[in-house]
Order: sequence, then C-alpha cells, then structure tokens
Amino acid sequence: MQRNRPPSAQAINVLRALAADPARWRYGYDLVTEVHLKSGSLYPMLVRLADRGLLETSWEPGQGSRPPRHLYRLSLAGREYVAALPSVQAGRAVPRPHNRWSEA
Amino acid sequence: MLIVMMCLAGSAAALILRSARTVPADPATRGDVPERLLRWAAGLLSAQRAEWGQAMLGELDHIDGRGPRWRFAAGCAGAALLLPPWGPAAAAMWVMAAAAAGAADVFAAVAVRYRLGAGGWIFAAIALVFLVSFTLAAATLLRRPGIALPGLLGGLVVTLTWLALSGFTFYGVTAPMTAPWSRLIAQVMVPALVGVAGALWGGSAAVGRRIARLAAISGGLGLYLYATIAVAVLGAGGPPSDPGSTVSYTVGDRLGSAILKDLVLLPLVTATIGWAAAAATARLRPGPALATSVFSVPVTAAGPAAEASRNPVTTPHEAGPAVRIRTWHRTAWLLLLWAAVAAAVFLAVVGGLRG
Repeated sequence: MQRNRPPSAQAINVLRALAADPARWRYGYDLVTEVHLKSGSLYPMLVRLADRGLLETSWEPGQGSRPPRHLYRLSLAGREYVAALPSVQAGRAVPRPHNRWSEA
Repeated sequence: MLIVMMCLAGSAAALILRSARTVPADPATRGDVPERLLRWAAGLLSAQRAEWGQAMLGELDHIDGRGPRWRFAAGCAGAALLLPPWGPAAAAMWVMAAAAAGAADVFAAVAVRYRLGAGGWIFAAIALVFLVSFTLAAATLLRRPGIALPGLLGGLVVTLTWLALSGFTFYGVTAPMTAPWSRLIAQVMVPALVGVAGALWGGSAAVGRRIARLAAISGGLGLYLYATIAVAVLGAGGPPSDPGSTVSYTVGDRLGSAILKDLVLLPLVTATIGWAAAAATARLRPGPALATSVFSVPVTAAGPAAEASRNPVTTPHEAGPAVRIRTWHRTAWLLLLWAAVAAAVFLAVVGGLRG
C-alpha cells in the first residue's frame, strides 16, 4: 500500500524550484545545487513526487557515447498542487540562505 | 585451519581471475571510482526503479570535479540502497537484522553476567563488526533478482546440517566436531550442494555464486545466534573445558570459538566451496544461460526508447560470445576448480581422521 503523506518542507522546496519556470525541463544536478539538497535526498524525493503524479519526467538523448540525461518538470497536477500550497507552509519552505564570506 | 587457508587462497585466485576476465569499460565513460560505486548500487535497484539508477548515472556523467562527483555518487548510492520497493527481500532483511541484533544482545548479556572484562568486550566488538558486515552484505544480495529465496533456503540447509550433526543440542553445538564424516558433510558436501543447486536454480555461475554467498552469510548468522544462546544457557557447564580454567575464561573461550567457527570459518568455507561448485556446474553444463558470468557494461543507449538501456547490468546471455572463455582456458579453469574441491575433500578427511 502506497503511503500518501504530505510532502516535506524539502520536497516543497523542490516543487517551488520547479514551479519557478514550470515549462522548463530541469536536470537533477541543477536541482541539487539550486535547492541545496544532497543527491541522496533529492532522488528519493523525485521518485516519490513522480509516483504521486506531481512530476513529469523525460530523457534527453545522450550526445555521442554519453549516457542520456533524465529531465524533470512539474505536471499539471504538480502546478495545481504548488498553487494551492498555503502561504504559511510556503514561507516555511523557503531555502535557508547560505552564509558565505564572499557575500558578506 | 588448512581448509581455511585453502579457501582464502581460492578466493584470492578467483578475484584475480575474475578481474582478468572483466570486460574493459567503454573508453568514453570515465570509469572512476564514483561511477563504479554508483553503477554497482544502481544494479541493486528493483526493475521498477532501474530507470532511476540510469538517471543517476546519466547525471553523474555531466558532473566535473572529484569532490562533487564523489558527493553525488555517494548520496545516490545510499539512496539506491534504501529506495523501495524491497518486496519480499525487506522481510528477509529484517529477519537477518533481527538475528544479528539478537546475537549481539545475547553476547552483551553473557559478557555482563560472567564479567568477561576487557577481553570479552573486544570479542564483542569483533563480533559486532562481523554482524554488521553480514547484514549489509545480505542486504545487497537479497535485492538481486532470483537470489533471496534460494540463498535463504541454502542458508537453512547449512544451518540444519550443522545443527543435525550436533544433535540439535546446546551441548553438541558447544562441543567441537570430531567425527571425520561430519566434517566432510558440513564443510565440503553441503556447501558444494548449495553451489550446484544455486547454479542450476539461477541458471548461471554468477547467480549460483551469489546464492552460495547468501547461504553462507545467513547460515553463519543463524548458527552464531544459536551458539551464543547455547553459551548463555550452558555457561561453564556442558562439554568439559580446560582443567583449572575459571568460569569467565571458559565462557569467553566459547564465545570466541563461536565467532571463529560461525562468523569466519563456516561462511568462508561455505562461500568458497559453493562458489567453486557453482562455477564448475556452469562449466560442465554450458547452456545458453549457464555459460558465463555477469559483467557490468556501461550504459550507452539513448534514452527510454532503447529498452536495453533500462537495466545497466547485462544478463549472462546478453554478454555475448565475445566474453566467452576460450576452450583451453575453460579446461584449465575446470582443472583448477576440481583440484580445489578435491584438495578440500582430502584435507577435510585427513583433518577429520587426525581429530
């Protein structure tokens, strides 16, 4: 039986990152760097979101002998889900800014 | 001890030969350690999730820099190891983890009760390392397709054989095995049977070897749990111990012997003899699926349209004739395997007669 828990704050961060430009296909590593998640957290999250139908996936054909790349973007259901997110939850899900000496 | 040394030598020879027969990676791929780690972990994913393993590998190929590649691959490998669905393997995994935790708990309880001191806790730490390693190794083997059921059945056969030879008693498990025929059965015949049955069941030498490894791990774990409980129940009672030894010494000695026998000797012998038997079975019956090993090959197919790209690990018959071993090589291989098995039988008989 598949559990249908509400997405975590990190998953909502991912959804919001994808919702910034919902038509654009994104790479996994781009999401890793943008949302500041570890790959070990991101991929299980993407799997769950895809299982729930919130995410569309596609493949970018490999160039030459390079392997193909997986692409992600929000599905229609995903866009509706993000649009319906309450503002409190959305605020909590904002990524924590990174303190960098160079930006100080 | 001779059998153990021979098994170690055999394992080393197998690793050398295996590395010599491995198909070189596609030169277009980097083939560095992060990629190999991730490729291995992706191979453990269920068929339903194989596409995600390919996604991780595809992404890794576009990441530059040693640190970022390592971080990405390590994270993805961890995720691949834990990513559901596990199916029936999860139940088996929990049973094995429970057996390992139970054995560690019993060991700790015995160490406290008999005040074994620092030496006892050193043994406990060694046992814990073995138990954790066994659980992790079982976790990876259980997720391989077609391994869990025959491997666990093989482990059950190994466990029941050793218990039957000890009369299904705590006394018998604690006492050393002296009859020559019982050593021959437990250390050679049953592991060989597991390897042969595994190769025939799984349809390839690689699957047979994995089945033998899982049988060795699960059998060793089960017997170790049983032996630890036996020590806890018997204490210093049971079979006669060294004259003049204290209760703590006797109990500690038995716990140490259980580690050596059930977590080192039995798994090593079972896995090695089972490996040799599985490989020999595959060579003697070279059908379309029994002929060769599983080799990892790089993912080069372009996207989901290519069905072959869904699984980054080839099956034996997909490996193709190019990787088949030549006839003379096969004959030498057969001779080596059968020499190893014959030497093991001989040493077991000689050791048993002397014992």
